[in-house]
Amino acid sequence: MNATFSRVGAIVIKEFKHLTRDPRTLAAVVILPVIQLLLFAFAISFNVDNVPTIVVDYDQTQTSRDYVRAYDGSTFFKVVSHGASNSEVDAAFDSNTASVAIIIPAGFERTINTGGQAQVGVLIDGSEPNSAKIAKAYSVALNQVYNQSMTAQWADSQGLDISGIGGLQPRLRTWYNPEQNSTIFLIPGLMAVIIAIVTVQQTAVTLVRERTLGTEEQLRVSPMRRVELMIGKLLPWTLIAFIDVALIVFLGMALFQVPLRGDPVVLALGAVLFVFASLGMGLLISAVAPSAETANIVALMVAFLPSFLLSGFAFPLSQIPVVLQGVSYLFPARFMVTISRGVFLKGSGLGELWPELLALAIYATVVVLVAAKLYGRKASR
Amino acid sequence: MTNSTGPAAISATGLHKSFGATIAIDGIDLEVGTGAVFGLLGPDGAGKSTLIRMLATVLAPDSGTATVFGHSVNTERAAVTPRIGYMSQRFSMYPDLSVNENLEFFATIRGVPRAVRRRRAPELLASMGLAEFGDRQAQHLSGGMKQKLMLASTLMHSPDLLLLDEPTTGVDPVSRREFWRILAGLHREGTTVVVATPYMDEAERCTHIAFLDRGQITQSGTPEQIKAQVPGRLLEVICDQPRVALAAVNGLVGVESAHLLGDLVRVLWNAPTDASEPIRAALNAAGVSGEVRATSIDMETVFAYLAERPASQPVEAKS
Repeated sequence: MNATFSRVGAIVIKEFKHLTRDPRTLAAVVILPVIQLLLFAFAISFNVDNVPTIVVDYDQTQTSRDYVRAYDGSTFFKVVSHGASNSEVDAAFDSNTASVAIIIPAGFERTINTGGQAQVGVLIDGSEPNSAKIAKAYSVALNQVYNQSMTAQWADSQGLDISGIGGLQPRLRTWYNPEQNSTIFLIPGLMAVIIAIVTVQQTAVTLVRERTLGTEEQLRVSPMRRVELMIGKLLPWTLIAFIDVALIVFLGMALFQVPLRGDPVVLALGAVLFVFASLGMGLLISAVAPSAETANIVALMVAFLPSFLLSGFAFPLSQIPVVLQGVSYLFPARFMVTISRGVFLKGSGLGELWPELLALAIYATVVVLVAAKLYGRKASR
Repeated sequence: MTNSTGPAAISATGLHKSFGATIAIDGIDLEVGTGAVFGLLGPDGAGKSTLIRMLATVLAPDSGTATVFGHSVNTERAAVTPRIGYMSQRFSMYPDLSVNENLEFFATIRGVPRAVRRRRAPELLASMGLAEFGDRQAQHLSGGMKQKLMLASTLMHSPDLLLLDEPTTGVDPVSRREFWRILAGLHREGTTVVVATPYMDEAERCTHIAFLDRGQITQSGTPEQIKAQVPGRLLEVICDQPRVALAAVNGLVGVESAHLLGDLVRVLWNAPTDASEPIRAALNAAGVSGEVRATSIDMETVFAYLAERPASQPVEAKS
């Protein structure tokens, strides 16, 4: 046991020395995540601001004007013109001068004053489905805020599915993010993506490097076991990845006002397990890759695409095809995105997130053991 | 000087190893006595590295067995590796770590206690003339220094058997000589050394040698035994037109073989009669004036002779 500690310790010390001798790698693993965070957080925004809006007010009363002002007063909509009839809406949509139209029928004020359910038409240009969906959600939220007694009548102009339009319930996620600020929603998921990229990439080349240096043979004539090598390689990167996690959490909270509503310990535990799983995946690639170049490319593919597309980061997992939903379980990112969002936004704790934590723990163990196994087989050739 | 009567440091029988369609080791039996300096000679691709890597437990043989101090390299790796030091052909230290850091790392994973590491590292570096380079990154060492660092690293855990794969290839002559001086010291202390080398002159420094060709051992024994296989005496012809002289002596009765060595013509004379007269006559006939003198048979000549011989020796004629 003592011998194991000193061998693993020797590897850990050695790995840190490699890092300090190579400032570029060090910079890459500390600065790059910050750049990625800022870049992604600012670039990937599902926010809709100042949607050009045309208003057709057939009522022309104090109440209808107040209602329109509620739209104009929000940052989501910007009333760009007032039309006299519905035909002007078509013209505005065609010329792209507006993508939302609010049509207030005559008798709006009277209906409200008599306690009835007022009808308002909201037309949304569906040619940009994402924006359309979000504008719709905003509008629903706005209506709720403005007047609980009001119903809105929906219509999409360009082939957007209107079957679900009757419901006035805002989308589920709005509960945790009432301002629909997508950056807040993004950053917890982004953390998983960035960690995956940094970690998988780094460990993917590490074993290949030992092989190309020829040092692998020297390691093999020592009594060191392969698992000890794997763990010695994982520990330094776990620490570094953890620093990255802390950086992202700090920047997310300080710069983007992401709330941390749940238990930070659960988040930390999830992060450690996720880091281990990702590093293990890197080792797995490293154990079988014939060259550093191949390892790099495979690592990039494995780290980037699944954590982006199959983690629930960019698309809700329930909305991707069933086959891909199954594939998503092969990558640890989906568990981490759930944990991260749960802790940050929903205030979840161990009670809700233990299945994801357990999954990550199992995943990490299996991947590291398989990597050790495969590494040995490769080396005996 | 040698103690080859002790228990065998290495005993191998029927070793085979192929890489795909390439047969690297084709049935090797090998016995290396404790305390020997055993030279594995042969051209590139003869299988020297493969043999050494199998003995070092780094590579598993396809078939056959090998034991190191009585322990199988296949099934008792844990008993073998503490007793061996393996130095691969390529430089295999971490280039970004310093000399001291490399020694410290490899000794630690080898299980050398801290106190021993602290004492032995400076000792070894001093004995190899690397004392003042302890803090230098390995990548900034010269070729000879790199080889000495690797040797020092393989010696940190005081192995009983050193397996050295072409430790002097690509190293300047001065460093080569120094490297062999260190090996001679280890030999005196009783360490068994197996060293692969493409340099025939290094065979002279070994107590035992084996010549490898296409995965088989074609000759083995002490240098004296090997030399004894070469019949006759070796003569050198010193003249200003060596090529003409070579052509002149090549057909003579009594000339076993003749080669150019720089400006010299080396003639292996295998006849009971004195060689000087007929050679001088042949040189005169060719219009070359030169001097003939006797010299001792060296390994270069031995292997040149043995390499030409197989055609007439059916025993060795298998490829």
